[in-house]
Amino acid sequence: MKQYSDLEYLRLSKGGKLLYKLGRFFTGIPRAVGNVFLKLWDLLKKGGQGIGRECADIASTFAHGDWKTKISYFIMGFGNIARGQVLRGLLFLLFEAVFIFFMVNSGAYWLSMLPSLGKQGPTEEYNFVLDTYTTKYHDNSFQILLYGVLTIFFIIAFIYTWRVNVRQNKIAEQILKSGKKLKSGKDDLRSIVDDQFHKTLLALPLTGILIFTVLPILFMILVAFTNYDGTHNGYTNSLFTWVGLDNFNTLLSWEGGAGGTQSYAATFGEVLLWTLIWAFFATFTNYFLGMFVAMAINKKGIKFKKGWRTILVMTIAIPQFISLLYVSKMFAKNGIVNGFLMDMGWIQTALPFWEDATWARITVILINIWIGIPYLMLITTGILMNIPADLYESARIDGASGWQQYRKITLPYMLFVTGPYLLTSFTGNINNFNVIYLLTGGAPTNPAASSAAGTVGYTDLLITWLFKITTGAESQYYLASVIGILVFVVIAVISLVVYNLMPSIKNEEDFR
Amino acid sequence: MKKLFAIVLALALALSVCATAMASEIAGTYDITVWVAEKAVELTKQQIENFNKTNELGITFNATVEAVSEADSATQMITDVEAGGDIFCFAQDQFARLVQAGALAKLGARASETVTAENDAGTVAAATSGDQLYAYPLTSDNGYFMYYDKSIIPEEDVDSLEKLIADCEAAQKYFAFEMQSSAWYNASFFFATGCKSEWTTDNDGNFISVNDTFNSPAGLIAVKGMKKLVDSPFHLSSSQGSEFASNAAIVVTGTWSFEEIKGILGDNMGVTDLPSFEVDGQEYHLGSFNGCKLMGVKPQVDAVKGAAVAQLALYLTNFDCQMERFNALAWGPSNVKAQADEAVQANPGLAALLKQAPYSVPQGQIHGSWWDIAKVISDDVKEAEDEAGLQAALDNYYNKIASLFTLDNNALLFVGAWNGWNNADDTDTYYLKDGAVTLEVPQSDYMGGRIVNPGKWDSDKGFLQVTEGKELIQDLGEDIGDNNIVFLAPGTYTVTWDGAAITIAQN
Repeated sequence: MKQYSDLEYLRLSKGGKLLYKLGRFFTGIPRAVGNVFLKLWDLLKKGGQGIGRECADIASTFAHGDWKTKISYFIMGFGNIARGQVLRGLLFLLFEAVFIFFMVNSGAYWLSMLPSLGKQGPTEEYNFVLDTYTTKYHDNSFQILLYGVLTIFFIIAFIYTWRVNVRQNKIAEQILKSGKKLKSGKDDLRSIVDDQFHKTLLALPLTGILIFTVLPILFMILVAFTNYDGTHNGYTNSLFTWVGLDNFNTLLSWEGGAGGTQSYAATFGEVLLWTLIWAFFATFTNYFLGMFVAMAINKKGIKFKKGWRTILVMTIAIPQFISLLYVSKMFAKNGIVNGFLMDMGWIQTALPFWEDATWARITVILINIWIGIPYLMLITTGILMNIPADLYESARIDGASGWQQYRKITLPYMLFVTGPYLLTSFTGNINNFNVIYLLTGGAPTNPAASSAAGTVGYTDLLITWLFKITTGAESQYYLASVIGILVFVVIAVISLVVYNLMPSIKNEEDFR
Repeated sequence: MKKLFAIVLALALALSVCATAMASEIAGTYDITVWVAEKAVELTKQQIENFNKTNELGITFNATVEAVSEADSATQMITDVEAGGDIFCFAQDQFARLVQAGALAKLGARASETVTAENDAGTVAAATSGDQLYAYPLTSDNGYFMYYDKSIIPEEDVDSLEKLIADCEAAQKYFAFEMQSSAWYNASFFFATGCKSEWTTDNDGNFISVNDTFNSPAGLIAVKGMKKLVDSPFHLSSSQGSEFASNAAIVVTGTWSFEEIKGILGDNMGVTDLPSFEVDGQEYHLGSFNGCKLMGVKPQVDAVKGAAVAQLALYLTNFDCQMERFNALAWGPSNVKAQADEAVQANPGLAALLKQAPYSVPQGQIHGSWWDIAKVISDDVKEAEDEAGLQAALDNYYNKIASLFTLDNNALLFVGAWNGWNNADDTDTYYLKDGAVTLEVPQSDYMGGRIVNPGKWDSDKGFLQVTEGKELIQDLGEDIGDNNIVFLAPGTYTVTWDGAAITIAQN
């Protein structure tokens, strides 16, 4: 789609402008995707070049360095100690000693077991005299995977430290050549709280993030490539092992189960589609209706403004857990709602709020509106009050109707300010476990769905399906992990696309 | 394995002299954790105290008794076996999962004898995988029957499902029978017409085969009866006793709801066995599952402690302790002697179970996924428009079972160079009901493949018992690797199979 000049664009009708914009957006997608790959390729190239440069530097340092430097290649910190930087040298040496001790003691075992994830499962013995069976446990796949990954982390840290130690020697040689003095241990200690203070501050959080966030995530991702489940728990019954991409093939295969059961891919597709539909409606219905409620309360001439707000905020005060469970009971077949309607004689038989797929989906969205409006009302009330009143005044003088004012002033301003919030609430709704699980538990069940992974219902989101898989009869952790990865991919793609389209990101200068 | 078991058994009998030797070895003080339902915590503490005082083996337990419900204990054990309770209680549907997870210690030969002799056969089967006992029966009252509101349902209608539905519709009250979300309840209709779903497990808790006749003429009658109930606008899929408080007239549930319903209905409470439904002039009395709760012992690393804990588990599930639990908590005993006790026979809830007993089926071992597969039958039945739709519901059920497990005598898997297939992704499953299969064997260097049971794809056991037409093939035996059969000449072959043996004929 060719790009129009400004003049050509302005000549278009309203609908034409919209179509043109949409067309530009969609024709731009391939280029945008291409750009991502180009960037990745650039990164890889740069990374490769960087590693190459480092290696060359290491080699040349060895070739041109003096004997202290050469020995430092094998005994870390030797050069530092020999040149009088005892503290630094000892730290390097200590690190090396700890590393070697760890590797000999257990690291080598974890690393050697990592490719197979264990060789010997538990064994059982019978004791005649005592008439009992005892179990001997051996390898633990779960631990091997976890500590294997940790060992790799440690090795990377060691290589980095070793590289630093080599560079230190080179720098020290250069400094000594130029006739300056090296830093002493005292200077080092002082720099920790002085010019290197940022590193001191960040050391602990960084270690925490590595061990408590990055490592578990990496571990969970790796589980997707194993057959870790209820019958292969890696320790007390049988070991689990690597299966490559089999699990992804399982989930994304279009081959139906025997005799007409849905394939995994079809089930996954249906659940994903509903998840996206749900996230869209849950986000935007709440957003607009919450905004309208806020505007209605803000209107001049409305009395008891504080009272209305308090009533709405009261619903926030009640924990979602309680209200959702209660509402779920209210809409049940023999619940209050159906009972009331039947007593009034408006319906003859109960409405299938949770029994019919379409009904259940709509009901879930409507109840979510009831829960979400107060929050949005609170958020938007503040922002609405921030819109300069003179904008509205001038608009009124120019004869703009209420609707025009809303479209041209209120909405753009709101979208500008709350754009990022909309994005986060959209991704939050994709993973909105609470509402779905507490209201319907995924019901009504989809009979055609693949049953190998627990039952899948028509209102199940990917996240609740994942929950069912892990807590189901088979405890298919590996499949849950695969779904988790795919959820991440979906959210990442949507977030990146939307983020780059947002006015708040594009033109920061607006509304200043 | 069987042979080994026999030897072990013989040795164990010979060594029953060891019982005295055991006493000296086993004496000592042990720290253990015991998981029981919250209601039973105090009683269990008391019982362990009694054991410490009375046992002749010199064992003393410092027991920490924690409240972990029978529903949660299995999940908690499976999450981390080593951190789990040394003794824990669970409902029998969790049994196979626990055995697979390695969370249950096998019972020794002498303990097995005691348990088998003292408890009813259904509960012993529930605690058995393959031919090995893994748990100690604790109760035998996990069944369901009918509670009804006498002020709405006339006494004379309680034996007919059709009349009950009509009564509920007339009174605009609900008939609560958990069809949609529980296979445990909707199997009731199938048992009424004599269908069964019997699973076989091996000694490691893995399911090896199933004998399932839900998809049969009798099954079709069952779903016709089920349709009558689920089509009623006043059918409610629930088994909560509290439904009586919100306009239900009938609730099908078990003894655990007795007190609650008594509290709501008072003298209007009626308790009886399930009704019969009528299809084509025939009456079928609704069946039910008859399940139990079990007590399990965590595998111990130390044999002495293992033996001591096993002694305690035996004690806690013996006649006296079961009677104490019946008196305090109204838990129906699994001990045969206790079941014959007059007080037990007189309990109204247990009496209704007893009335339902002739129509009930011991739960045995059932694959965990079966519950998920079978529970959607009622949804399918509800949507069915005609008989073909009902048949489709059964087919759907059957196919799902077939796609998951080896259906003994029901399906075969053909993999190989026939019909142009050459790799593992090209498999075809043939069912017994498909009749004969035509195989085109093209001329090639490799005219082989394998015929195996589905699910045995890469397992150790193939399936090949060619009775007729052996001269046309080369039989590669059980150790299949990549194939177990090679055709000697190209051509068209007809393969028929009667569920046990394969016949191959050249066209």
